Amino acid sequence: MDKINLRAVYAKYGNAKYFSHLDLMRTMQRAIKRSGIPIWYTEGFNPHIYLNFPVALPLGTESYVEPMDFSVVEECDLENLREKLDNAMPPGLNIISVKPQIMKNTDVASAEYDVTLSSDKHSSEEIVEKFREFLSADTIEIHKRSKKKGEVIVDIKPHVVVTDISSENGLVLIHFILPAGNSFNLNVNTVLDAFADKTGISTDVVCIKRTKISAENGEDFV
Amino acid sequence: MLKDKIEKVLLKVQRPSRYIGGELGSVVKDKSKVNVRFAFCFPDSYDVGMSHLGMKILYGLKNLREDFWCERVFAPWEDYEQAMRENDIPLYGLESLDPITEFDFIGFTLQYELSYTNVLNMLDLAGLPVYAKDRGEGTPIVVGGGPCVCNPEPLADFFDLFILGEGEEVNLELMDLYAKMKKEGASKSDFLHEAAKIEGIYVPSFYDVSYNPDGTVQSITPNCPEAKPKITKRIIRDMDKVFYPDSFVVPFTEIVHDRAVVEVLRGCIRGCRFCQAGFIYRPFREKSSDTVCRQTKALCEATGYEEVSLSSLSTSDFSEIEKLLGDLSEYTDKENISLSLPSLRVDNFSEELMEKIRRIRKTGLTFAPEAGTQRLRDVINKNVSDEEIMNTCRMAFEGGASSVKLYFMLGLPTETDEDIIGIGELTDRIIDLYRNVNAGKRSPKLSISVSCATFVPKPFTPFEFEPQASIPEITRKQKLLLDSTNRKIVSVSWHNYRISILEAALARGDRRLSAVIYEAWKSGCKFDSWDECYKYENWVAAFEKCGIDPSFYDNRTRSFDELMPWDHLDYMITKEFLIRENKRAHEGLTTPNCRQKCSACGVIQRIGGGCVGQD
Repeated sequence: MDKINLRAVYAKYGNAKYFSHLDLMRTMQRAIKRSGIPIWYTEGFNPHIYLNFPVALPLGTESYVEPMDFSVVEECDLENLREKLDNAMPPGLNIISVKPQIMKNTDVASAEYDVTLSSDKHSSEEIVEKFREFLSADTIEIHKRSKKKGEVIVDIKPHVVVTDISSENGLVLIHFILPAGNSFNLNVNTVLDAFADKTGISTDVVCIKRTKISAENGEDFV
Repeated sequence: MLKDKIEKVLLKVQRPSRYIGGELGSVVKDKSKVNVRFAFCFPDSYDVGMSHLGMKILYGLKNLREDFWCERVFAPWEDYEQAMRENDIPLYGLESLDPITEFDFIGFTLQYELSYTNVLNMLDLAGLPVYAKDRGEGTPIVVGGGPCVCNPEPLADFFDLFILGEGEEVNLELMDLYAKMKKEGASKSDFLHEAAKIEGIYVPSFYDVSYNPDGTVQSITPNCPEAKPKITKRIIRDMDKVFYPDSFVVPFTEIVHDRAVVEVLRGCIRGCRFCQAGFIYRPFREKSSDTVCRQTKALCEATGYEEVSLSSLSTSDFSEIEKLLGDLSEYTDKENISLSLPSLRVDNFSEELMEKIRRIRKTGLTFAPEAGTQRLRDVINKNVSDEEIMNTCRMAFEGGASSVKLYFMLGLPTETDEDIIGIGELTDRIIDLYRNVNAGKRSPKLSISVSCATFVPKPFTPFEFEPQASIPEITRKQKLLLDSTNRKIVSVSWHNYRISILEAALARGDRRLSAVIYEAWKSGCKFDSWDECYKYENWVAAFEKCGIDPSFYDNRTRSFDELMPWDHLDYMITKEFLIRENKRAHEGLTTPNCRQKCSACGVIQRIGGGCVGQD
């Protein structure tokens, strides 16, 4: 029997946001083992549960839209499968859906984030204003470490899209759209670091939440 | 809420999931519905502490009780400690995130001497005075357990009480007593007096210690009616009936031993004369193969671990080992779980056993001959012969192995240069053997790694009377070892001997060392077992400041009639036995293992028969 490739959408929030992508692999493998679903093991000397995460979720970022690819060895009712997996998840992880893999990994293009910031030293209104100024600059150059070229200077200005920025109850709320593809991706923290660097205003992250992962054509990546 | 403060700094430190709890299997209760709260503290990092089996057992056991709540606490790594101190975050339990000062008990497991400064640091991080006498009414009872409690004297000033021996029964007795007395509104002192009546509970402040002019202990005298002249360790009788957790807290982040662990037996029949565990955990008691199988399955199913390890001091001495491995591998093969067997001894590696292990997991070849010559191995009663090492290596080399790991100790009693050169000669013979086995074949390059520790004499061993080698001696021996090994093939490494000499002083120290530990901690010592954190100069200064010469504890031969600082603690083995074994060591005579012949260590009289080999 051939393996059947599936894609789960999972949520990672609460205390679970404090473990890394590397830890996620182990945690998911154990949860799947506990669930008892007919998971596909790699064939070879050391059989193990094969999982693939088309996008990496940075430590500290919450999300409800994360894809995880795996395979099973028998035909399953997908809702039943989802329920079994979800029941085996540790606190802070949930399985939202299980569907066949339709899009390819390489189709991932961008991701959207809701970011909440606070500061002890600056008012939220001031930060909003400074952030708008920061975004309206002609270029936003940052130092980026690359494996091949060492440290390079990159202009991230064309890649940072902010669709909404406001202040509310002393907090700053920003909605970002950032590249998340295999060839180029941008982390929210990188943008915030650049902001701190250019304006001297360092903010405390209250919450970063990934809300959407999109394909090149703008559709939801699933 | 502490949680908000914690979350504010968490993303600024390394591997933050260690500090926030919420792992699968962690037990969260409604604090208004529990009577006794216990902060189980492991005085080392999360990664180390979470690997510790004793904590998993006692955590599960206490939390089974509806009226008790046991939480986990570890020593924060330096970056997080700094963040805690800067942001007024006191040390807290990982389940409730409540400060541990709100708990009824703060319990430390004392697994190694080099964690003592972390104990002080954790009390301080909690906001508590480190000296027991400075902690008043309404502060938690600070208790200690674990192997180091067989000589807790260097820590006597910091603890309210110590728990001797195995904890499964006595912990519950202690907490039950506390619950009852809490309801009656009893004072801390009233509680300690009552607790001292429980078998296995040692309240250090109930004993006065005096010293001879030469610095040795003159007397240890009870100063209240409840204090027994001798406190006897606790043991569990029936390993098939004792509680074992059917689930572990499964960490998100990787820890040192990241796998399911099933304990198969306690105690050890071997009696290696340097090994404290081999004496203080007597008698030898096994679970049945069926119990081990059942517990393995339950744990694997509950945790989802892909690896399970059978744990004990010497798993190959398990009577039903062949049956167990047969039954277990049937299950683990089917479930794609790998089975590992640490602490296998070379001398009873049967061919069938090797075959099963090979099928289960391809691991490297590791031996602990401990000494380079047969003469010295006889002295330490490590009954491993050259021939057995060679036979096992031959089998492994024929099976394609090309790396060997060997563990030795330097500075053992009666050691001569010949014994050290013998380590080099042993590796030469292994090299020759490898060349013979692979003659005419294209084979990978052989690698042998020799890892050397410095011998540390420990209480309740036949070597408790022996001196540790002095620093110049140790460095000379290390150089000699380097000169006598084939360095192209053999890589030689050692533990930092500067750490071993501190370990030796603390292991056989008395109450006067409390001041040294305090001074060392004050000057910034912590995580002393971590090479990169160990501050040797600070320890030297702390000893000097207290006017104490560590060589008094390390390098002095103690006479058989010297009163040891721990002689009021009873670990069931007799002094006469230890002296007898010490004399046999100096005569180069081995002692048969407990299964072959009872050596009258004293335990059998205490448990009323039924010891291994004497049914």
